[in-house]
Amino acid sequence: MSSATKVATVTSAKREERRAYWVMILPAFVLYLFVMAFPTIISVFLSLSNYNGGKLFGGQAWGLTGFAQYTHLFGDRFFWNALANNMWIVVISVFGQIPLGFLFAYIIYRKLVKAPAFWQGVLYMPSIISTIVIGLLWQTIFSPFGPVAEIMNTLYKADFHTHVTALLAGGVTLDDAGIQSLIKLANPDSLSIFSQPVQDLKDFVATYSSNTSGELADDLTNLLFNKWKTDFMSQPGVAMIPVLFVILWLYTGFYLIIFLANLQKIDESIIEAAKIDGASEFQILKSIIIPAMSGVIVTSAILAISGSLKSFDLVYAMTGGGPAKITQILAIYMYDTAFRGSPNYPLANAISTVMVVVSFLLIGVTRTVEQRYGGKE
Amino acid sequence: MKKMVISLLVLSVLGFALNAEQVTLKVLNYIDATQAGYADDKAIWDAFAKANPDIDLVKEELFNEPFHQKTEAYIAAGQLPDVLFAWPSGRSASLHTKNLLKDLKPLLGSDLNNFVPAAVNPANQSGNKLAILPQSVTYTTAMYANVALLKANGLAVPKTYAELKAMVPKLKAKGIQTVLMANKDTWVMQSCLFSTVSGRMAGNAFIDSVIKGNAKFTDKPFVDALTFIATLYKDGVLSKDTIQTGYGEVPQLFADGKAAFLIDGDWRVGAFLTDKASGKALIAPAAQKSDFEIISFPSIPGEKNPGLISAIVGTGYGISTNVAAGSAVEKAAVKLVQYLYSPAVQKVRLETGAYIPSRKNVTSDKIEPLSGKLAAYYGKIPVTGYVLDGVIDGDNAPVVEVLNNGLQEIGIGTKTPAEVAAAMQAKVIAKK
Repeated sequence: MSSATKVATVTSAKREERRAYWVMILPAFVLYLFVMAFPTIISVFLSLSNYNGGKLFGGQAWGLTGFAQYTHLFGDRFFWNALANNMWIVVISVFGQIPLGFLFAYIIYRKLVKAPAFWQGVLYMPSIISTIVIGLLWQTIFSPFGPVAEIMNTLYKADFHTHVTALLAGGVTLDDAGIQSLIKLANPDSLSIFSQPVQDLKDFVATYSSNTSGELADDLTNLLFNKWKTDFMSQPGVAMIPVLFVILWLYTGFYLIIFLANLQKIDESIIEAAKIDGASEFQILKSIIIPAMSGVIVTSAILAISGSLKSFDLVYAMTGGGPAKITQILAIYMYDTAFRGSPNYPLANAISTVMVVVSFLLIGVTRTVEQRYGGKE
Repeated sequence: MKKMVISLLVLSVLGFALNAEQVTLKVLNYIDATQAGYADDKAIWDAFAKANPDIDLVKEELFNEPFHQKTEAYIAAGQLPDVLFAWPSGRSASLHTKNLLKDLKPLLGSDLNNFVPAAVNPANQSGNKLAILPQSVTYTTAMYANVALLKANGLAVPKTYAELKAMVPKLKAKGIQTVLMANKDTWVMQSCLFSTVSGRMAGNAFIDSVIKGNAKFTDKPFVDALTFIATLYKDGVLSKDTIQTGYGEVPQLFADGKAAFLIDGDWRVGAFLTDKASGKALIAPAAQKSDFEIISFPSIPGEKNPGLISAIVGTGYGISTNVAAGSAVEKAAVKLVQYLYSPAVQKVRLETGAYIPSRKNVTSDKIEPLSGKLAAYYGKIPVTGYVLDGVIDGDNAPVVEVLNNGLQEIGIGTKTPAEVAAAMQAKVIAKK
């Protein structure tokens, strides 16, 4: 074969290779463009407009308005509240679900617990239940009329009842000192219904006859005991805690499975050799397992970050973003802006654009950390 | 063979012709599938489908917030169903302000004379046309009272707020909440109580003045109304638990005697009546008769309009402007609307406690006691006031969002009434 023929054959092979490459890549690339890239670009475009719904072409007239929606967004306290809540979800996902998932996977993989298959099933189970069902389930559990409130109040009441019964031991007529003792025992919030607590309570007690001390003790308990409330779910600063707890409980099993699958790919003979060389369990973890898993940990972190920023269903089912928007997250804020009350589509698109940008930033940080500190698989 | 081919040809042409007349009608309906009376509603729609085999009904059923969100999604996509349930203003503001519903007057013609004038008055709808035909006049505040529970605790139905407040320690001592509301959904407090409170303390004229820019939400009457809501929580008349109580939960809790009163809209009466499908009722008819009443909210200190209850022309069905005029779909849509408002269907609505129909002369001897008590309650209302989300809409719709949210903030103590009023005023776009 002459050199010219050889060159022609190589060129033809390369051309064929390139054609095969495009034939294989094109369907997925076109799909990606239509399903992912196009909506994202359109969303950014609409966030710079005053488009108000309906047909894009042939509907109501609309035009570009610049960064007005972003100015509005960054000046809205509910945006910063939603962003902060999302960041809490990112924190609990990256620093809660991943370490816990890894720990559980390691324990199961190294068979440090009896019946590992059972624990694997138990921990993974929440991940296979519908998120909406989970949200409604936990909403019921934390409801003011739910089982947690019921159990806690039964315990609190029993304790308070003992004290009240002791106070009433001498009969139902409580003098001023007795009423003062009762007030000291009482939950301060419960006294807010009285304009003059001492006199009002004296009047209240006076309505009972001397042979009803048991009933009086019951009633005073209901009236004054330190009721266990689910108020924390409507208090700024702590309302997200139950939501974060459920998120941790729900998704840890997912990362457990990812880590367990990858742990099972590690060559057992390396671990055996380390053990023969006298390595401790911690040294095996530190020097063999974690470096081998660093790539998976980063991938999991990326999944956790992107999942946290787009999370919607669980919080929506559990709290709906309320009360007074204190548990609102960006996705619910965007949804409410687009589809509730007085819809504002450009603002909703601005929110989604911010979500994408924040997601890219956090993933960038994760990759930088991995490159600087991560081991090599 | 030749005959057979000809017969097949004739059949196929006939089939094509028949097929061509088949109309698909998309409907978005508002109903709670878990509520008593759902089977009756289903039977109404099934009967229409059976009587009209040429109309394929593609019906979607949603309730509460998901319904409104889906409607907004359809509006955003420009793909409204042909026939849809809607509010005359507020909650369906987008449908009216964007002119997405047809004027029903020319389509329904003289039959509209059979409805009460308020229901067919275009001025009562945001778009100043008959975009929906209101099924009823809705009183958005109804106070359901468990009189048996009150009696058992030596209490009577309160006529003043002071009497209501005085009940709190007595009921709390027995582990009973005084007033139950589903305030987890932000609209409930605004529609079912605050509109009445603001009507009594500030009045319709005040709201009109604010919209025209001649008064402000920060003025004393309105701030006083907001302060009264804060007082309800402070006095324990309303528990903070209500802010975490969902709309679907309250009928069962009230029927179970967890509270002496439930504040909701008049429409909630249907939740307590007998479900024909199961034969069960949250409150049995005998108990409805002896143990429960529907009363007006007690008089409020400083009220200017005693006895006022917020009311609005009710919800109803409309036809999308996407439906071409004179088309087969429009004819089918009109046929469906006429059927839904027919005396026979309205009689079923009355019997199931859905509402007291706006169609005149609809009566029944089968209504349950609580429905009868609702009619009696209507008769005692001396004056009606605005439902705020029904009148503050269009460009001012964000004001209602601030109010709804603010009422929750007042409840949980993160905003004062004055701050909520100021936040509302900041969103007002005056219409001179």
